[in-house]
Amino acid sequence: MDFQLNDFFKQQFVVTPEVYKHFQECSNDRNPLHTDEEFARAKGFPKKVMYGNILNAFVSYFIGECLPTKNVIIHSQEIAFKNPVYLNETLDFEAHVSGIYEAVNAIEFKYKFIKPDGKIAAKGLIQIGVLK
Amino acid sequence: MKRAEIISQLNEIFEDIIDEGPISLSDTNTANDVDGWDSLTNVQLIVAIEKIMNIRFTSEEIQSWKNVGEMVDCILTK
Repeated sequence: MDFQLNDFFKQQFVVTPEVYKHFQECSNDRNPLHTDEEFARAKGFPKKVMYGNILNAFVSYFIGECLPTKNVIIHSQEIAFKNPVYLNETLDFEAHVSGIYEAVNAIEFKYKFIKPDGKIAAKGLIQIGVLK
Repeated sequence: MKRAEIISQLNEIFEDIIDEGPISLSDTNTANDVDGWDSLTNVQLIVAIEKIMNIRFTSEEIQSWKNVGEMVDCILTK
């Protein structure tokens, strides 16, 4: 196993206009909350809200590219959105190994995305398998 | 924990993970007897059992089980 309990990982992600545009094209989600500034303001947000599932894409990058091994597959991924994310915000991503299940080569991570103001944007659990 | 209590807890875990309706496990059941119990689900089942029962298995233990009864026997040793 390449992991120990409480191993800690840190990463920064930015919801750039390019990320936003590509996610919109990929998902084909044009809900006005994400595309119309006036609509978002009318709903009580200062500007259009970024797609929460962009953060799932960042999680995908974390698992696929930032771990000490590439021999990984995502088994399950949970996310709870706590505060909206806006365009060009930089998010601090923190994750730690919260469970090791050696019998089935599975690792669990707890993670959170932190906004520039210190508020939690989202948090959740990821379970991965370590491929032999 | 008694054998019947373990089976009851396993039923709940299997129903939650497999999510295809009520499950009533018996000692002689194998993966072939339970719809939805495949190799991927098995990983989720083992992780859930380990978390909920606060125990750990070894890969040798898991590979030695021939049926649910042997799984329960193993849990009783923990």
